[in-house]
Amino acid sequence: MKKPVIAIAGLTACSGCQLTLLNCEAELPEVAERFEFAWFPMGTTGGDDCAAIDVAIVEGAVSTPDDLETLLRLRSRSRLLVAFGTCALWGGIAAMKNHEPRTALTEAVYGEMAVNIRTFNPAPFHQFIKVDFAIPGCPPEKHELLTTLASLLKGTFPVFPQYPVCTECRNRENRCLLIEDNEICLGPLIQAGCNARCPAVGIKCEGCRGPVTEANVAAETELLLRKGFTREEIESRMRRFCPEWDLSSPLL
Amino acid sequence: MSEQIEISPLTRVEGHGKVTVHLDNGQVEKVTLSLFESPRLFEALLVGKSFHEVPEIICRICSLCSTVHRVCSLMAVEKALGIEVSKQTRLYRELILYGGHIQSHALHLFCLALPDYLDAQGFADLAAKAPEELKMGLRIKAAGNLIQERVGGRLIHPVTLIPGGMGKPLDRDGLLELKETLEAVLPDATNTFELFSTLPSAPTSLPTARFMAVMSDEAPMLIGERLETSDGTAFQAEEYRERLREDVCEGNNAKISLLDGEPVTVGALARLNMGTWLSQEASQSFLESKEKIIGADIRANSFSQAIELIHAVERSLQLIDSLLSAGIKKEKPPAIAPRKGKGTASIEAPRGTLIHSYSFDGRGLCTEADIITPTAINQAAMERDLLHYARALEGAGEEIMKLELEKLVRAYDPCISCAVHVISTHSQKRISP
Ligand code: SF4
Ligand code: SF4
Repeated sequence: MKKPVIAIAGLTACSGCQLTLLNCEAELPEVAERFEFAWFPMGTTGGDDCAAIDVAIVEGAVSTPDDLETLLRLRSRSRLLVAFGTCALWGGIAAMKNHEPRTALTEAVYGEMAVNIRTFNPAPFHQFIKVDFAIPGCPPEKHELLTTLASLLKGTFPVFPQYPVCTECRNRENRCLLIEDNEICLGPLIQAGCNARCPAVGIKCEGCRGPVTEANVAAETELLLRKGFTREEIESRMRRFCPEWDLSSPLL
Repeated sequence: MSEQIEISPLTRVEGHGKVTVHLDNGQVEKVTLSLFESPRLFEALLVGKSFHEVPEIICRICSLCSTVHRVCSLMAVEKALGIEVSKQTRLYRELILYGGHIQSHALHLFCLALPDYLDAQGFADLAAKAPEELKMGLRIKAAGNLIQERVGGRLIHPVTLIPGGMGKPLDRDGLLELKETLEAVLPDATNTFELFSTLPSAPTSLPTARFMAVMSDEAPMLIGERLETSDGTAFQAEEYRERLREDVCEGNNAKISLLDGEPVTVGALARLNMGTWLSQEASQSFLESKEKIIGADIRANSFSQAIELIHAVERSLQLIDSLLSAGIKKEKPPAIAPRKGKGTASIEAPRGTLIHSYSFDGRGLCTEADIITPTAINQAAMERDLLHYARALEGAGEEIMKLELEKLVRAYDPCISCAVHVISTHSQKRISP
């Protein structure tokens, strides 16, 4: 069988999703054997930037004309395109202040040079292109990336959990940070798959995997307000990875 | 006749960048290094966020260095709010920092740098050409990652590290697992040193570098208040704004950090030149190969990282022993009362000196944030060296020029996401994409 040709690239991001692949130390040699890397600037030199690609796996939010151009180019060259990580799927960290004018943010940082900077509100892929599959997480879980790669070899995509982090957390019998410790834990609203990584070590879920389908935002907000958190605090935390909670995922 | 040679994008480095060599009749006129990472605006994103949120957000500046950003940020926050942490927390923090050094150095040495010496394009190629070496590198890297995963609760963007303390500390069994893993890779670290000792060193010499590192008289050695340079300058981290000035260089809209007007070099090579403390086996390796390091140019950086790998593994083992012999206690992080204040912290990140500085208002909300990264500090020296090396390579042909200059950039082990994060210092202009 011909090896699937893949591209791995990043837009506005911390490279954490791409690094997640390089962090699969045990599996990396086999991944290198099973796939052909047509384009992966972070990991390899050379490559062909106009060959046809079977699957493009792309991280980051779209926040500049260059980002958009790269994304469109990858989309048009690829049979399948995977939004890799929370930035690509929801906008992520870069988008947390999308409710404030972008120019004000740029000016706060670049001063009078801000006029030269071409940037717009960081946005997830689905606002521009058709996305075939998404791997959530900031950063994504290794096992979800590897499952995706393994499924691709079989010509399909895996099915990821469609329930909240809370479910995993309860299964692990962690102490509930929200109910018992009155912490601002976002577990009830967030898509599972991390095996409640943070609550398992006593840290509230910050929501890095983005909204679960049918997240009951109203109920959680009300609970947190009753516990004495301000609306400002709640919104600040909820916006950290996903600026628009009313939008449901294009993929769910 | 003028022409240009472009290396775009720079590969096997973190982030997006390019190098352009401007030639006139075959003579190198100038070389520009552009970091065209998208603007990240982190300092603007942090303004208005509570001190609890700041470390959680800022570690997303960069995945390769998320641990050290998190710790540096915590320390600056704690300084601003006047919080002391327990000895146990300090030990865990130092341990996870070394985990970061191990993973970052191993990644750079094996996945990014080594392919250059073996005529390979990257790790996939290396898997075919030097499978044993690659596997060795990945074993070491995995050990560093395991430290970060276990101590931090996650290896990229660690979660347990919070202001004033930490979540559930790694238990005895977890520490024993780390100990076993680290003991197993110690020989690999030594072999890495051997491997990198045999690689050919570069022929032409580059301008003498001026090195800088965070110096500390007591453990933890990576963390300190005092910055020192190889030509005898010393200043407190808090004074960085007066000392590390930023300048616009002609023909490039990037801003670069200069120390008292001159480029400085930070990172593994700088640390070894500054004489930072090394564990036993690492200092032996250092003594064996001192002449390749003292006063050397940046191309000895990878080799220096190999020595530091040994140190990081040994030091991690010592830290684990200290934690084990003290016994792990479940400590509840203190309740923190917000207050108005400002705090600056500096740490030796894998790539060199990192500074975080924040101000908070009476409600504990961030009013100003500033981050100086190793890559931003190194950028001026990188440009100087690129120009020098490009001139030395005149007439060697485009292919060789491209290859060699890219190798030079790679030797600095730049982290472009980090560098193009930018700050809000008053009206200063910053690096632009
Ligand atoms: S700690 Fe958080 S994730 Fe766990 S059950 Fe409670 S609310 Fe859900
Ligand atoms: S618990 Fe929440 S914050 Fe932690 S990894 Fe899972 S989704 Fe992300």
